[in-house]
Amino acid sequence: MGLLAIGTPLEWSEAKKVSSHVRSWGIEQLLAIWRNAKGKERDALLWGDEVEYLVVCYDQDNRKVRLSLRQADILAALANDEKLLKQGGGVPDVQRGPVKETETTAPVFHPEFGRFMLEATPGKPWGIGFKDLLDVEPNMKWRRTIAKDHMAKEEYPITLTTFPRLGTPDCTVPSYLVSGPKLRSQFVPDEIANPHIRFPTLAANIRSRRGRKVEINVPVFRDEKTQWPFKDPTVNYDLHQWPEDDDVRNGAAKENHIYMDAMAFGMGSCCLQITFQAKNIEEGRKMYDQLSPLGPILLALTAATPIYKGFLADTDVRWNQISRAVDDRTPEELGEKPLENDRWRLPKSRYASNSTYISQDSRLRPEYLDPDLVFDADLKQRLLDGGMDNLLATHFAHLFIRDPIVVFAEDLQELDLTKADHFENLQSTNWQHMRFKPPPPGTDMGWRVEFRPMEIQITDFENAAFSIFIVLITRAILSYDLNFYIPIAKVSDNMETAHIRDAVSTQTFWFRKDPFSPRPRASANSGAATPVESSRPSTPFGPVEDEFERMTINDIINGQTSSSSSSGEGFPGLIPLVESYLNSMNVDVETRCELARYLDLIRRRADGTLWTAAKWIRHFVLRHEGYNKDSVVGEDVQFDLVAAVERITKAEGRDGLGVEMLGRRR
Amino acid sequence: MKLVLSTSNIMSGGPSVIRRPAFEKSNTELTSSLRANFNTHQQSSTTTTTTNGTSTPSKPSFRTWTTQQDSALYIPTHTASLLSEPREAYDITVKLFYLPNVPASKRCIQTREAIDLVLRELGTPSIDLLIVSFPGISFDADDEDSDSELEATPTIPTAPNTSSSPPDGGCEDADAAPEDIATMITTWRTLETLHDEKTVSKLGISEFGVQRLNKFLPLARVRPSVDQINVRDCCVVPKPLILYAKQERIELLTHNDCTNVLPRGTLREILGSGDKGVGVLAGDADAAEGLKGEIEPQWVVKYTAVVKDRGVVESKGYFAVAELVES
Repeated sequence: MGLLAIGTPLEWSEAKKVSSHVRSWGIEQLLAIWRNAKGKERDALLWGDEVEYLVVCYDQDNRKVRLSLRQADILAALANDEKLLKQGGGVPDVQRGPVKETETTAPVFHPEFGRFMLEATPGKPWGIGFKDLLDVEPNMKWRRTIAKDHMAKEEYPITLTTFPRLGTPDCTVPSYLVSGPKLRSQFVPDEIANPHIRFPTLAANIRSRRGRKVEINVPVFRDEKTQWPFKDPTVNYDLHQWPEDDDVRNGAAKENHIYMDAMAFGMGSCCLQITFQAKNIEEGRKMYDQLSPLGPILLALTAATPIYKGFLADTDVRWNQISRAVDDRTPEELGEKPLENDRWRLPKSRYASNSTYISQDSRLRPEYLDPDLVFDADLKQRLLDGGMDNLLATHFAHLFIRDPIVVFAEDLQELDLTKADHFENLQSTNWQHMRFKPPPPGTDMGWRVEFRPMEIQITDFENAAFSIFIVLITRAILSYDLNFYIPIAKVSDNMETAHIRDAVSTQTFWFRKDPFSPRPRASANSGAATPVESSRPSTPFGPVEDEFERMTINDIINGQTSSSSSSGEGFPGLIPLVESYLNSMNVDVETRCELARYLDLIRRRADGTLWTAAKWIRHFVLRHEGYNKDSVVGEDVQFDLVAAVERITKAEGRDGLGVEMLGRRR
Repeated sequence: MKLVLSTSNIMSGGPSVIRRPAFEKSNTELTSSLRANFNTHQQSSTTTTTTNGTSTPSKPSFRTWTTQQDSALYIPTHTASLLSEPREAYDITVKLFYLPNVPASKRCIQTREAIDLVLRELGTPSIDLLIVSFPGISFDADDEDSDSELEATPTIPTAPNTSSSPPDGGCEDADAAPEDIATMITTWRTLETLHDEKTVSKLGISEFGVQRLNKFLPLARVRPSVDQINVRDCCVVPKPLILYAKQERIELLTHNDCTNVLPRGTLREILGSGDKGVGVLAGDADAAEGLKGEIEPQWVVKYTAVVKDRGVVESKGYFAVAELVES
């Protein structure tokens, strides 16, 4: 999350008045970008990963661990490290060194929403050279080392998705009073968020637009001694400082759920995101569509979030909590009240799974699209008038149903078509599991696609493994022209399924049975020699329902056996597809050996031999002597858990700790 | 008669994806993509004959979907599929499999023929890497001396190799003895010429261990820059080979091909008139249409064109050539 321009942010009541204005300027900027860049061709594959850390601070004497809110100090130290700058690293928002053409470029660091968070990315993008792939893991380790070197002795960067006891008393250092004016949360102080004006404004305006605080209810894990029905004992029903203090008295906290009330509970989560540059807009659109059905699968496979606010949850992933943490929908949009002032009912939060497919692909059947998709018809018409095709215009007109949340007064004076600020205002506050990114104006970047569902993993080995796996999958998709289309509504269903505790071993997911396109009829080869037949498959389509079925994650990753599939040989499996791709490439033995370690991790996570982080963390808590079988994750348990996690990032299971997740490492 | 079999670009066809452990050797990709390409062409020339009001699709004569040119039969009728981007965008690798029981004296002409087919298929004047596979060599990571002279004792096949291939697509690599270095070097001279002519930028060999490399390298004028080996687990490549390869600046690459990639029995089955065949060869019993004679696989060539800076395999396929000898 880069820091956008500084200025005077409008309060929601003011921002609301100019929302149409911002949207229409955003659409004009989008059209300008699209016109400029739609013909861009032959861009190389470049890609980047983003790793996010929680900064924890140990209090050894009291056996406590808290979140450190020293993000600004740490970033300042990073931005002023001469040696780091010389190597090309630093903090791009403040200062960084020059990107090296040939030598290694040091990683760069970025602020994030949470003041206890840090984001790190490679200093320059990766390519597809296999050597680049092998640089990813050491680079991630280097990032963590640099981050740690700019922290205090008792601080450490860990890659847990959430801090287990975020929102309990005394969970930060320094400590601040809760119930601040921006978040109005009874659990976390305003100081939990990055103080850059953009972030508190984002949180405050989401709350204002919504008309109450955000409402995050996570089902609690019911253990032997959990009070049942469970009424979140940490909720205070007697606060009277803010109007929003009424929320809980109006039933915001649901029975048998852990209740949270602030953006920080969602946007304070760490994830692993991968962005790819496509060769042109068509390839970008294809990647967006084909990676979309993989999102929920990778979410379940990377599950790492079993604890919220000091309680074991009955779900394993962060996704829906973030979704609710930034849900700015009004009661009318939510369908709780008749539509009077708002324009439409909105089935999803701004942070949600994708609702569109965008590729101009003969394999994209109309049946895959959402017939009830909400989009802004006027803005769509403007895009169509500007020359954009129906699918892409629909996609952006769908993103533009939202209001801009943070608007700076200074930006509304003049429309600058050489910039993307208004477009990005909407684009970057639509947090879907895939993001289709037009080239930023004034750069030579190409069209990009971001894959956003994965949870951050405890070790850099795992984070590298999942990043590289996704890169290899995209290469297999493009090489074999794979087809993973299923109705987009089924992708959303899968996203819900992915939340279920241990979904990776216990649930099935909708997935396409045959990823291959029918073999082109005779002489319809891709070459230019015989342009007789069109690329449209000549076999007629059967019913959509016959194209997909429920599969286990193991089936999807490792392939169906003929007995586990409903017909024929069954789905070949993502790993076999990647292996087939690698067998077509010239890969040296050492590289192949390294890649095999990564693929093996994913293979064994999928078949259940190795545990997800969620399962491991859950197990750690349940076995801890300080745990009382009552779903409560106390200070003592958290202290040992965080220390164990730190140890695992260093030893990666070689000392036996975490071996259930990582297997025997060399 | 010479039979020229081709797969076309197999990247868009599903069956070539191997659903088994990655490092298990297999010729499934070749055999299944040959079958798939034959079937596609056969179906597209299928005509429906109407007799007495009932229409029955008849299996078309192989003549309708193959082409005879001089003394060669192209199965199926072949049309090139040219690369879509400029030559420099690609990394083109070709692997040529010399098959067992073919006299080494034929290799010179066979090599040129194979390279020529690939160049015309892709519409390119040159290739980046040509790897050759000699019959009978099999790399065994568990036995560092696997390529010593001891192994050269010919294993005599217990039965004539006319049975069909193993059902799992595994390899029948044990039916030929490795050649001596002198014979290999004779073949290598042809490759060196291709290199001199700049048709091929780099040369490679496959399945060579330290011993064999040690004997081969001093005799090679153009040294191989690549040694392609198959190892079940690529993390257990013998240390001496890694060190030797580093020292000699030979890159060790992985593969999972069978050395004897196209046994006679397999080819016979694919082309035969049985259930699994496409009816190019006549069956034993029927005197109907179909070519008669003994089939002798000569060589197989695999080509792969990868868009370099995107890591995308744009084109991959095989040609296989066999002689049909009138019996």
